[in-house]
Amino acid sequence: MASEVNTDFLHNKKLDSIAADILRPVGITQGFVVWMGFLGVSLLGCIYAYYIQFDKGLIVTGLRDYISWGMYIANFVFFVATSLVGMLISSILGLIGFKWVKPIARIAEIIAVAFAAIAGLVIVSDMGRPERLPYVFMYGRIQSPIIWDVTVVTTYMVISALLYFLPLIPDLAISKGRIGHTPKWLQSTYEILSVNWQHTPQQYKILLKAMRILLILIIPTAFAIHTVTSWLFAVTLRPGWDSTIFGPYFLTGAFVAGSAAVVIVMYFVRTNYKLEKYLTHHHFDMMGKLLVLVSIIYLYFNINEYLLPAFKMKTAEAVHIHDLFVGEYAFMFWCVQLLGLIIPIILLLFKVFRKPFSMLVISIFVLVAAWFKRYLIVVPTQDHPFLPKQFVPDAWMVYHPTVIETAITVGTLLLVIIIITILVKLFPVIPIWEMAEEQTGNDESPQD
Amino acid sequence: MSNNNKSTGHDHVSREQENGNSRRAFFRNLGLIGATTAAGGAAIYSGYQYEQSKPNHDFVKVLTSDNRLVEVPRDQIKNIKVDHNQLTKLGREGLKGHRFVMVIDLSKCRNARKCISACQSAHHLRPHEYHINTLIMQESQNTAPYYMPKPCQHCDNPPCVAVCPVDATFKRQDGIVLIDNERCIGCRFCIAACPYSARLFHWEEPVMAESDKGKEYNIELNVPQRKGTITKCLFSSDRLREGKLPYCVSACPNGVYYFGDENQDAVTNGTSKETFRLSELLKVNGGYQLMPELGTKPRVYYLPPKNRLFEFKDERGQEKETT
Amino acid sequence: MIKRYLSLLIIVLISLHLSAQEWVVPAENGARLSPFAFSDSTRKAGAELYNTNCKSCHGDPGKNNVIKLVPPPPDPASAKMQSNPDGALHFKIAEGKTPMPSFKNILSSVNIWQIISYIRSFNDKYVQKTQTKPGGSGAAGENAKIKIAWLKETHQVQTFISATKEKVIQPVAGTEVKLFVKRYFGNLPIDEARNTDAEGKALFSFPKDLPGDSAGFVQLIVKLSDEAAFGEVKADTTLAIALPTYRPPLNEKRAMWNVVQKAPIWLLLAYTFSVLAAWGFIIYVFLQIRVIYRAGIRKDQ
Repeated sequence: MASEVNTDFLHNKKLDSIAADILRPVGITQGFVVWMGFLGVSLLGCIYAYYIQFDKGLIVTGLRDYISWGMYIANFVFFVATSLVGMLISSILGLIGFKWVKPIARIAEIIAVAFAAIAGLVIVSDMGRPERLPYVFMYGRIQSPIIWDVTVVTTYMVISALLYFLPLIPDLAISKGRIGHTPKWLQSTYEILSVNWQHTPQQYKILLKAMRILLILIIPTAFAIHTVTSWLFAVTLRPGWDSTIFGPYFLTGAFVAGSAAVVIVMYFVRTNYKLEKYLTHHHFDMMGKLLVLVSIIYLYFNINEYLLPAFKMKTAEAVHIHDLFVGEYAFMFWCVQLLGLIIPIILLLFKVFRKPFSMLVISIFVLVAAWFKRYLIVVPTQDHPFLPKQFVPDAWMVYHPTVIETAITVGTLLLVIIIITILVKLFPVIPIWEMAEEQTGNDESPQD
Repeated sequence: MSNNNKSTGHDHVSREQENGNSRRAFFRNLGLIGATTAAGGAAIYSGYQYEQSKPNHDFVKVLTSDNRLVEVPRDQIKNIKVDHNQLTKLGREGLKGHRFVMVIDLSKCRNARKCISACQSAHHLRPHEYHINTLIMQESQNTAPYYMPKPCQHCDNPPCVAVCPVDATFKRQDGIVLIDNERCIGCRFCIAACPYSARLFHWEEPVMAESDKGKEYNIELNVPQRKGTITKCLFSSDRLREGKLPYCVSACPNGVYYFGDENQDAVTNGTSKETFRLSELLKVNGGYQLMPELGTKPRVYYLPPKNRLFEFKDERGQEKETT
Repeated sequence: MIKRYLSLLIIVLISLHLSAQEWVVPAENGARLSPFAFSDSTRKAGAELYNTNCKSCHGDPGKNNVIKLVPPPPDPASAKMQSNPDGALHFKIAEGKTPMPSFKNILSSVNIWQIISYIRSFNDKYVQKTQTKPGGSGAAGENAKIKIAWLKETHQVQTFISATKEKVIQPVAGTEVKLFVKRYFGNLPIDEARNTDAEGKALFSFPKDLPGDSAGFVQLIVKLSDEAAFGEVKADTTLAIALPTYRPPLNEKRAMWNVVQKAPIWLLLAYTFSVLAAWGFIIYVFLQIRVIYRAGIRKDQ
């Protein structure tokens, strides 16, 4: 990342055309209203499901004493995982100096903010006493990984939000005069959020410095957030969870899920907003390569995680491995491994599959598999406690998620989609000033 | 003000007697009143001087906060309101100078399940909500099956307590791991962490939620139970405070349980009430702990199921077993 | 066919084996009689005790709903049970024989007699014989007293039993004495039960490794076994003869599982430092946004 910004682009004609392209879809369109209405009505149904759970207790879920963490926790892990992509793309790849991430970086941050923000809500939906949430801050026991998790998730969310907001400031200033077609309140929101941005070199200098601090700070925070989430499981003595590689295993898995989510949002932004000029085949190709890289690393950790217990067959581990490989969870397990990991890796090695539409299809498979993968990490381990499950009602022996539980989970996904839709639709989704600066720079100093 | 307190106090007493609630509970309430009185200074004595003119020789046993049983004249008990926070504080501190242990003799268990029902009625639980459960165990194909009562192990390195985010579960100085269901947020991390499946969660309204409404919470009994919180075996710490054996231990008809104090090297059998040296009992019978390799350091010891007094009979009925 | 004969043979052998293990009651115990006459009140008290202590195995008398065990516990109304003399019943209840537990530590001698009175109420033909001399005084002496002494050199507890006999305080010889140490839930027997010698003395060796309090104090309890002769006689004293034992509270040290006030120091430091560092930077960035805002105002002017 350059340490100084050449503000020449402000006087370049290209800025106008870039701004026009990117700002064209911004605003409240009929499609947006219908889509948000659909999401909102569906969300109401999910909120009613949560009301039932709040009233009757967690008895309305399929959870019981043996399998006491289920869909909600799996969903939480999935949300945290997906949000990590913000760090991977804008920080790691950006700091290394990959220019192609520039138009994608904001999409990655939007995903990070949306998933991290709702992850906290997912945890609340799993609590038996949600009204006691303040106790976590009043009586927090810093030995508990939950407290670490609450701390790092909050920190990560704030940093991600800032990383979304800071590069948006110049764009808001540029856009101010160019969004006459949008409602008044949106224009005044732009006015307020642009914090008096005047494109002075001093302002750019401060902005870049602040960004640089955050881009470095978010790396340990992101590592912490998912490592700590993995510790929710790894600190226990349970076979299947009692593993020392859980931190990196979760982290690499997170990059897979997040990259897939970015591709999906990229695809819809590109086609719906006619931004093919900015989200090019090259970007999809690069994202395909990134996805294949992180998937191979994740496959490597999967082999470590499953092969070693399967080789040794320690009593309790053997039951767990058996259940995953050939038992009750075998179908889900092999679907996840094949459709969500191995086949995508093979396909993405070929350039022909790194085209936008095939990338979309593959990414949907990868993302859905990523959700079920979290389910497979959370649930089967609890199915086999050390001591036998006896003298309890049949319903306690197995875990089947209920409709209410599913509705609440879907509700949290809807919230994520709502946040993504708002941020994508009402604000410039591709950094205008960075694109303009880059193109101006390319024009004026081609020898660089 | 003191008049007000007195009248409510009397109401309380008469109600307890009317509905035939256990006398023990009555004494306990008085005891805790006594305890708070003692903590407040010489309140009893000032009351004594005040009411000395009234001759009355009706004495009542009162348990003080340092666990001494004393007698005070009934009419001189000052019914101060039970300070709820004080009660919880006492429960969190535990009994000084003790380290409670349980020994379970597997050779005597015939799955009578009396321990379970006594526990469930004391702690207001449903029949399938177990603080203690008797499991059918079989180590491997060719070894003989046996019954194994399984309470909370009250580990000295408790994995469940380590993960609690809000200090809702904690280990006391006497080794007992308790639950504060007024603090618990219901995250169930402790259930996930416990390798002995000793904890349970109130997925729905507890069975006696209606009749327990408005009752003062007793952290050592975990009653009233609350929806959306954890409960578990408490080693009947309310009984221990009175010097009595836990509910399950006293209810066993077969002499399975021994309970006592490691610091005194003594355990008392709940059925025969005979007292033995803990070290001797474990040495002679080859006592062991459940899954010691996990490093949890349980406070429950088992004596192996050899020379059994009863035939093993599989009483699971329709219930499935996972091994 | 052979199998059937074989199993029949086994059953016969087992029953022979069982009958060979007939419960033998020492003659002197079998001859003992209740010190009081059975009445409605003793039967009532006995019924209550029966229901809490005996019913779970022996069922309701006369209803033959005993628990299924091998050998089956007899129904109290049955001829098998009723053929026992009073003293034999008392002995069997007190001592127990696997799988029947011993009740001598649970029920007092009087309680056991009350249960026997209840059991006898199911036998119409029963006629009670009571002890001619209640309390058995006279022969053994009255107003028995126990003295306790500590013999440091030999690490022994010496007890001395005396009683008033023919208006003179005399040592009691040949009576059984038991020594206990008080523990939190019960009394721990020390050494074997001893009979007093001609001087009324009995010696108990005291274990060297028995924990006492932090100064080594323990409470000793001495009891006379022959309640029939002396009534309930016991003495207690507190002596510093045990191993001084202080064990710190289990939750004293800092640990991952302890309360937040006792969290490990390294964790407190690491957590605080990380949070302060991260949020320090975040707050700095927020302040930078303010600086940007201010810079914009200056430019406007």
